[in-house]
Amino acid sequence: MRWAISDTPWVNRLLRGRWLQWGITVLTLAVFVVVILTGLLGTPAGNHNFGIIYVWLVWWALLKLVLVPLLGRFWCSVCPIPAPGDWLQRRSILIARPGGKLYTCATRLFRKAARGRPRPWPRFLRNIWAQNFGFLAVALFSALILTSPLVTALTLILFIVVSLAVSLLFERKSFCRYLCPIGGFVGVYGQVAPLAVRVKDPAVCATHTQKSCYVGSDAGYGCPYFNLPARLETNTLCSMCGECLRTCNRDNVAFYIQMPGTDLLNTRGRRLDEAFNGLMMLAAAFVYSVVLIGPDGWLKATARAVGAPSWFAYAAVLLLFSAVLTPGLFWLCVRFGQLLGGDGEPAPGKTAGRGSKHATLFAGYAIALVPLGLAIWIAFTLSFTLTNVSYAWPALSDPFGWGWDLFGTANMAWTPYLTGMISYLQIPVLLVGLATAVALTLRTARQHGQRPAAALPVSAFCTLAVVALLTLYMA
Amino acid sequence: MQRRDRFALLVILAILLVLPSFLLGYQVWRQQPTAAGIRIVNIAARVPEQGGFSPDRLTLRAGETVRLRISSPDVVHGLTIPGLGVNVDEIYPGTVVEVDVTPDKPGRYAFACTRWCGVDHWRMRGVIEVTGLTPRPPSLPGKGVGERSPLAGEGAGGMLTSAGGDVPLYQQLGIDIDAMRHAAQVTPATRPSIGVGAELNAALPPELADPARRRTRTPAGAFQTLRADLANAALSDDDVWSLVAWAWLKDVKPAALARGQTLYARDCAACHGPDGKGKGPAGVNLPGMAKMEPVMPKGPSDFTDAGAMLAASDALLQGKLLRGGMGTGMPEFGALYSDEEQWAMIAYLRTFLFGK
Repeated sequence: MRWAISDTPWVNRLLRGRWLQWGITVLTLAVFVVVILTGLLGTPAGNHNFGIIYVWLVWWALLKLVLVPLLGRFWCSVCPIPAPGDWLQRRSILIARPGGKLYTCATRLFRKAARGRPRPWPRFLRNIWAQNFGFLAVALFSALILTSPLVTALTLILFIVVSLAVSLLFERKSFCRYLCPIGGFVGVYGQVAPLAVRVKDPAVCATHTQKSCYVGSDAGYGCPYFNLPARLETNTLCSMCGECLRTCNRDNVAFYIQMPGTDLLNTRGRRLDEAFNGLMMLAAAFVYSVVLIGPDGWLKATARAVGAPSWFAYAAVLLLFSAVLTPGLFWLCVRFGQLLGGDGEPAPGKTAGRGSKHATLFAGYAIALVPLGLAIWIAFTLSFTLTNVSYAWPALSDPFGWGWDLFGTANMAWTPYLTGMISYLQIPVLLVGLATAVALTLRTARQHGQRPAAALPVSAFCTLAVVALLTLYMA
Repeated sequence: MQRRDRFALLVILAILLVLPSFLLGYQVWRQQPTAAGIRIVNIAARVPEQGGFSPDRLTLRAGETVRLRISSPDVVHGLTIPGLGVNVDEIYPGTVVEVDVTPDKPGRYAFACTRWCGVDHWRMRGVIEVTGLTPRPPSLPGKGVGERSPLAGEGAGGMLTSAGGDVPLYQQLGIDIDAMRHAAQVTPATRPSIGVGAELNAALPPELADPARRRTRTPAGAFQTLRADLANAALSDDDVWSLVAWAWLKDVKPAALARGQTLYARDCAACHGPDGKGKGPAGVNLPGMAKMEPVMPKGPSDFTDAGAMLAASDALLQGKLLRGGMGTGMPEFGALYSDEEQWAMIAYLRTFLFGK
């Protein structure tokens, strides 16, 4: 059951046009510029610096509470970080180049002699492993990044420099598709969203040999994320930029409103890199809950003391917990499930041995971590957002902490909002996430031909995660 | 390039160039003197380990109104400029506090942090030099034209007097405040009461009746004087001690005691403790303690210790308060307290032993 929202004429015009996306990108770019300036020049006191407040409170809350659950990966299409590289590749901002042609250093970007085809992204990196490890790398420094405006600004500058360099060397949005640490989890959790871009009739695509949605046309560019829309089954790799809507000359692409979580219903053929992302994000939510909003100041100080011996210990624990212990425990649960409910049927087209079967089941069960992980991140985000978002008012009037009062809100006092309600919001969110996760584990067992008992250990894993987190928050 | 793209490019260039220029230009404009000619001076207050006040030396002109914009990038600080009547209780990190000052007399005025911002809080000081002449332009070396008065730093209400100014009592008396521990030969069995002492209606000898002379005496010495006086033969030792307590505090006005209490809470309680017993959290593990003479007390003084306090004259306490040091972590407060405040503080210290 789904509704093609882009079939509504005015919505269609809005989505086909480039003004909306450009307008939002320009707005985010302006905010980005202020974030960089305030980070470099403003007060180091994070709670009075525009950069910290509007990136790690306002943007993060918008991303986790609104954008990802409702619009999937839409943020990626209006993110300012890849925008300069994107405009350079296109050598235009609002106009589609004839044939959707893109330019890189290898294809006369700077009007030098052409030396060949655009450089393809290395095959071994065509997955989200780099994004996973990139996220872990950022997580190691997160206590510093999240609280230091200067480090936030430098991190964002690093992102934009890397993104620009990648855009100059490799075609399309390779940085966003394969490297951006944010894009990785936004894509995975975006599968919960009700908004989706899909083809209307796959049979039409099968007979359409031009594949203008992939290679581009006069109407627009080929998919920046290297997607063939006919093969899109989930939101994971779609930023909903609308290029395929513009370039499909058979009007066979649409923006749909579907039941939330529809993307999760198929648990077969799932990828290990995405499974690892779910596990890593789950572990990170725990670490952040303990370190960043927990009562132990020494833990936060340790996490901030980058380079100190204690920080190396913290980094080792974080990496061990996120990359080894949590995935290891989950793997044991999946293996235990195999003992209880059988190995199930092999994946279609696969006749490989037990190792492949384990991996298939591991990736399949990890789907349960998408609604669970998102619920946990929403609960985590609610806890500090409602408490601290009132800092946004003074930071708006005095972005640098230099004593300005641009809009008359500089002296608005810090006021926690709805703090008495936070638990009542967190508990239902976590319970809905847990219920969905348990339902998905049962579905995974069924779809993989296992007996229902196979779902028990992973369901217990999910329950344990929620109970542990609730205990943490209630304490 | 089509018109739409040109427009889009202009908007983006505006964001990349005009927006930063506007923001930074606005700050530059805010640094200019106001329409009323008030000059703006920025002071960043950092924990002393990171440099303290920056700048910590200012040159102003007498009669000139200056707007101090004080900010803190790290922890909560405070600011006092006693000589100019400035007291800012809280400068929160990331906020800016503005204070207008108009020094009317040339001189050197101390300023200091008033919040316990770190272990070296007491080092967080600075000096405002007020000249009667136009300050030297910032492009030239030096702090300003005009004669610079040397720092003496004794009790001028935050205005640092020249070396030729009033010499504090402890220096006039030649008291060596670095001398070994002082201990009273006699101490009271119960807490002396000012009220009881007043009710005795006893006559005091001139050296105790006159505040100026009394400051040179120790309470223990005063006790012995009064005890030896035959007129007091009928009094018990406790009564005589109460007489001493009354003698010490009879002339102190309640407002002065209140001021002493405020200053104590602000400047002393962190080390000496709110109850005066020397157990304040900032007084633990003071630097240099291990190297001190074995006979010296290890840690901040206990103002309830009768043996030490009754053997100390007000003049001796004044010296310790003004100069600090003594091989301990005791800061100097001479640059921050007026004469009245010094004696008010010392009177307040006496109340830890002398009850109502």
